[in-house]
Order: sequence, then C-alpha cells, then structure tokens
Amino acid sequence: MTHSAGLEDRASGMKAGRELVRFEGVTKRFGANVALSDVSLTGLSGSVHAVTGENGAGKSTLMNLLAGVHQPSAGSIFLDGQPVVLDGPRAAHRAGVSTVYQELTLLPNLTAAENLYLGREPRRLGLVDRAAMRREARRVFSRLDMDLDPDTYCGDLTIAQQQMVEIAKGVAVEARVFIFDEPTAALNGPEIEKLERLILSLKRDGKLVFYISHRLDEIFRFCDTISVMKDGSHVATRPASELTRDMLVSLMVGRSLDRFFPHRGETGPDAVTAIDVRDLVPVEAAAPVSFALRRGEILGLTGLEGQGQREIIRAVAGQIAPVAGEVLRHARDGTSARLTPSPVAVARAGVGFVPEDRKSEGLFLPLAIERNIGVGMMRRSSIWSRARIDRNRLTGLLDSMNVRATGPRQEVQALSGGNQQKVLIGRWLAAGVDILLVEEPTRGVDVGAKSEIYMLLRAFADDGGAVLMTSSELSEHIGLCDRILVVREGRLVAEMPGAAATEETIMSSALTGAPFQSHAGAAA
Amino acid sequence: MIGRVRSRTSRSGIGIITIALPLTMFVILSFTASSFFTAQNLGNVGNQITALLIVSLGQLIVAVSGGVDLSVGSMLSLTSAIIVTFDPAIVIPLAIAAGCVLGAVNGLGVAVFGVHPLVMTLATATFVQGLTLLVSPVPGGVVAPAIEALAHGRLFGLQPSLYWCTAAILLCWLLLSRSAFGLRLYALGANPRNASLNGVKVVGPIIACYVLCSLAAVAAGIFLTARVSTGDPTIGAAFGLDSITAIALGGVQLSGGVGSVPGVILGVVTLGLATNGMNLLGVSPFLRMAATGLLLLGAVSLQRRKTIGV
Repeated sequence: MTHSAGLEDRASGMKAGRELVRFEGVTKRFGANVALSDVSLTGLSGSVHAVTGENGAGKSTLMNLLAGVHQPSAGSIFLDGQPVVLDGPRAAHRAGVSTVYQELTLLPNLTAAENLYLGREPRRLGLVDRAAMRREARRVFSRLDMDLDPDTYCGDLTIAQQQMVEIAKGVAVEARVFIFDEPTAALNGPEIEKLERLILSLKRDGKLVFYISHRLDEIFRFCDTISVMKDGSHVATRPASELTRDMLVSLMVGRSLDRFFPHRGETGPDAVTAIDVRDLVPVEAAAPVSFALRRGEILGLTGLEGQGQREIIRAVAGQIAPVAGEVLRHARDGTSARLTPSPVAVARAGVGFVPEDRKSEGLFLPLAIERNIGVGMMRRSSIWSRARIDRNRLTGLLDSMNVRATGPRQEVQALSGGNQQKVLIGRWLAAGVDILLVEEPTRGVDVGAKSEIYMLLRAFADDGGAVLMTSSELSEHIGLCDRILVVREGRLVAEMPGAAATEETIMSSALTGAPFQSHAGAAA
Repeated sequence: MIGRVRSRTSRSGIGIITIALPLTMFVILSFTASSFFTAQNLGNVGNQITALLIVSLGQLIVAVSGGVDLSVGSMLSLTSAIIVTFDPAIVIPLAIAAGCVLGAVNGLGVAVFGVHPLVMTLATATFVQGLTLLVSPVPGGVVAPAIEALAHGRLFGLQPSLYWCTAAILLCWLLLSRSAFGLRLYALGANPRNASLNGVKVVGPIIACYVLCSLAAVAAGIFLTARVSTGDPTIGAAFGLDSITAIALGGVQLSGGVGSVPGVILGVVTLGLATNGMNLLGVSPFLRMAATGLLLLGAVSLQRRKTIGV
C-alpha cells in the first residue's frame, strides 16, 4: 500500500516554520529507571509533528515534561528560544502549552464554559464573572466552528465534543503548542475527520501540534514531521514525505511490516463449529444476529465505533444478559450445551473473555503476576480447596508468552500495557479454555508486543482453539482475522475472508450496509 | 455530531424528592399535629434548625470537595465548654482559634498525608471530645450576658436565628456559587487529578474546606450555647451524623462535586420537620434517633451516583 501521492501534496503545502519548542539534552529518571536519556528535538511553528514509538519508548514522558506534569532530571526545554522551567501544569498553561490527554480531563459537573476557564476564571469584584466567561466561551466555540451551548455540563457531552472543548481550552489561552495524546482512540470516522480539520486549522494559524499516536494511518494523514522514539532515546526526525509505513515501523522496532502479522489459519467452511450464535438479541431493540465461530479460526467483528460489536461480544461472553436468542457451545468431545449468560458460567464452560479495559475489568492491578494467572488455574477447583499455584507451569507459560517482568511475583500494575495484556490472556491459557473472546487485543500496546500478541492468538487458534475479537483498528482485522463480520446498526451486514478484505471493502460495508452475504452456509 | 443536548448532569443535586419531601411533611404535619402550624412551634423549629443549618453548610463545603467531617459535633461541644470556662472577653477568639487548628489538622491529614476523611475526622472528633470533657466534665456554667444576647437580642424585632441563618446562607452561597474558590472546589470534588491537570491547586483549597467547616461548627456552638444559656460538653454529639443526613437529604453527593446551598436548606428543613413532627406526635426520642439513621441510609441510596456524569 503506498501513500506517496498523498504525502507529496501535504509536503508541498508545508511552510518552513521557525523554531518554537526545543528539547536539549533532556534526561528523565524515575528512581533508578531512565525513561528518557539525552533527548534533543526541535518543533517548528505551523507544523503537525508526530511523536511515535513503542509504549515505554518515552514519547509520553517527553510530552509530559512539556506539559509540566514532570520535570526533567537534566537538560532543558526552550520555548521561542528562551529556556523555561515548567514546574507544574499551571506553569505550562501560562507558557502557552495546551495538552489534550488521552483520558480527557474535563470535569463532568462543570459547564463547558467553566471548564474552559477553570483555574483562570475572569473576575469582577472578586467573584467569578459568569457573563464574561459565557461570552468568551461562545466566541472561542464559534471560532472553532463548534455549535455548543457554553452552559452544557461536560458530563452530557459525547467524547468527541469533550475533545473539542479540550482543544478550545488551548485556543482560549492562545496556546502556541498543542499536545495531542492518542486523540482518536475513542472517535469514529466522521469525528476523526472533524478533528483532522481542527488540527490542520491550528497548523494554518502557525501553532505547533505534537501528535502522539500508535496509529500509522493517522500519522501519515495528519502529520508533516515524524519523530521516532525508542527506549527513551530520540531515533530520528524526518519529514513525513520521506518515510513510508514500513520505514517508519522499522525505525520504531527494527522489524519490517510483513512480519508484523502471523500466517493465517487453515480453516475451510467445513471446519468444526465451536460456538453457534442463534438469533441473539444482545440489548433491547437490537436486531437478532446469528453466526458461527469455528475451530482454528480468528473471527473479527468490525464496524464503525459503537455499532453494536461490543454488545454482541459481551452478550456471548455473558457479561450482559441478552434479551433473546441463545449461544450454543460445542465442546471438543462433541457434546453441545447452551451457554448460560453469566460470566461465571461462561468461564466454567471453557470460554475466556478478555475485556477492552484490562485495567479495570480484567486484571487485579495490585496483585502479583502469579496471582493474576493463578485465578485462571483454579477455575475448576472448589472454593474450599487450597490455593496452590503450579510454579513450573506458571514459569513455562510466562516464558512461552515472553512476558517481560522481574519475576512471577511482580505486581501487574508495574508492567507495560503489552505485558499486562499477555498476563490477561495467559490467565485463560492457564485455565485451559479453548475459546477466547477478545476485545481490542492490542489497545495501548506497543508495536513489538502487538506482534507477539497476534502470534499468541494465532498459536491458540492453530492449536484447535477459536478466537472471536473486536477491534477499532481495521488493519488489525485485515492482518489477523481469517473471517471478518461487519456490524452496522447492530446487524451483520457483510462477511468477508480476512485475506481478501481491504480497508475500503470493510468501510463501504460499514458505512452503507450492503446486505449480509453468508459464505458459511452454517446457519442454513 | 456537535449539537445541543438536553442537560442531564446537574451539580446542585436537587431532585424531585429533595423538594417534595419537606413539602409533603409540612402538609401532613399541618393536618395531623394540631400544634404544628402555630407561630410558637414554627419559631421553635426555626431555632432548632439554625445550629444544624450552620453546621450542615460547613459540611456541604467539605462534601463538595469530596470529603466528610465527623468532628463538627465535638467542635461544637468544645466551643460550648470554652464559653462557660474561660474569661468571657477571650472565649470567642479562643473558640475561633480552636476551630482553625482543628480544621487545619483535619485538612493536613486528608490533603497532605492522604488519610481517609472518615478516619481522620473520626480520630480528631474523639480527641476533641476528650479534650472537651477535660475542660468541662459536666454540664453547667454561666454564659456571659453579652454572648447570650447573640441568640436572644431582637434586632429590628426579628428572631436572631433569622440573622444567623441569613448570614450563613449568604456566605456559603457566595463562596460556593460565585467565587473562583467554589468553582475549583467542585472541580476538585469531581476529580482531583484532572482538576490539578487543569491548573487547580489541590492541597490549599482542601485544607481551607476543613477550616471553614470547623469554623461553621464554632459559629453553631456559639449560637447554641448562647441560646440555652449554659455549657454542655456533649451538646454537639448528634451534629456529626445529623449534618451528614441533612446534606444527603439535600441531594449532596458524598463522593464529591455535587451539592448546593438551596439543597442543603431543603435537607435541613426536612430533617428539622421530621424531628419536630415526631416530637409533636409523641414518638420516643430513641426511635427518633433510629429514624435519623434510616433517613441517612435512604437519602444516600436514593441519590448515589445518579447526578454526576458517566
């Protein structure tokens, strides 16, 4: 897939900006851990500057220094050529640095206008001048082409609207530097387009936008300059027009893209069914869906954000009680049984569920790796039995999954996102399940670990298991899945083999809802 | 996708029940208890709830920040003990100083040392109650006439409780709804981390909340002691729980970020009417106490996590 045509257009529209931000020899240590070592990097005005790299590469740490969240252990930061000390978020705001964090920081119980001016409220006679606040908020919103009532509580806004308010906050203080940390994680297609327009308008106004992202598509779509970080060091900064996807990935990990995804499965249409979903109505007023998950395959449920994929997989997992329909589970020994829609019953039946929010729904963060996995090992044992962890099996499992940790006793919260995800999958492997339901297998996981998780899932399927997954990244479905089901407004509108699917064919089904073509014949 | 949405979030916390409960009680009591709707009794209710209102407004400030203060009752008792024990010329400044110290200790414990507000204020409540009993082990003592006048003198022919209530309401409303401090407090109560990322300081305002709350208890203590004209080292015992019940009835969310002065007034009136009503209907005082506990449970479970986003 080549992007060069589009890139040249963007490159020609690039103005040569002046230096706005310069990191010089910046080092950041957390205790004995060196998060950044001797990073020097320059950002120009009128530029959208991608900062990318694996998780733990130091890109967020670098941006947190600029946002005043952390202070460098050595080296200095220059704004407009002047050295600055950013000893807190307040200082960064005053210096003209505005940050849109991945987890938005708006207060739900404050109105849009109040959020915009929190911490620097306009005063009159010592009290907050609400009229001025509202007036100014309206002015900023209209400048950004947002139709938003300044008196709306932010708790009532959609994620996309909240993000706009975050951007408006920066515009309101006339910030010169904007930091976007994975801004598209929770947005759908049209919302991403709106964000793109906003970012490009900031660029036209001569601002510097630092764009932290894992998503290569967006990096090439939005950014004119790309900086790559690796293991706390700055690897390279190049104009986007000089890079291709493969070059970028190899800069990040030293590994080329074609080895990124594992081989595909060998399942034919006659493969044994593992899970049969029949007329399942996951939530009130949704359409019934039927499909089969076969042994040896990875099946993807895709579509635009919020079209019902999540509800379907959660209904199968027993996380939500479906309104109607049934889920039949065919065991390896040929017996079949109806799955009771409860998390405990589903787990006991040998079906593992890996939720998208592993920190709050999946893992016990303050507990050790061995305990997080041990929960799976004791899936079948009685509540009165002694809790014993088979250490040999545990060590073998951790080795085979390539979990990077100080040992099985390390707390899960100290691990990187990728290793946490491996522990969560490992829990189910230890439990001996043969079906995995996985939401967002690699959300917040760095590129290297992503590939390892793909291998893990593929090996699981090759071993006679079956995987049903959802993902907001189309490329993940295309690269990993054997079959892809496209969901639109709660209905399955298309089915395609992963090997033949392209972003275009998936998007056209997801957007227009071409009728569902069943190639499987399993439902008949 | 940008458009107007009907507002569902609220930070006043006032719902239908918050308003309907005191109104219904008022109507029912007017019919069932013959002595309820008399100037004498309504004046009594006003006097009875003044101290609770002042304490509850202080409790509201702490609750908005996401905390709770159980030490208000002990502070009120200590104020009473101070007034009847020391030289009348210094008792009020002394009580105020004691309030500042207690508030600062509570605030430091919560904001700097990270002690849970319940544990922190329970510890100081016990400490202060012990101290109070050391200062004045038994009820009694004389209240100086100048201090008595604060709750008995009739300026322009109006009940003094009216002035106390008006001043407390006005101060608290200005602070929470009109000042930058108040706005930041709501932000802190909803999410301290995000508030801090938005440039709001965390430690100072939280300490200030506890100091204000303790000072409210001191004010209530001065009013109450002046009104009963004698000291009582356990006069505040019920105020901790009562003030929390009152604000919960007023729709204040004990997890922080939601609550308002009008809501607290409604909550205090509800609790005041309930107490007065049971009194008039001859319900045992022990049963009244049990009922307060039930009211707290009911109020908290009704409003839990309903009004704030997510």
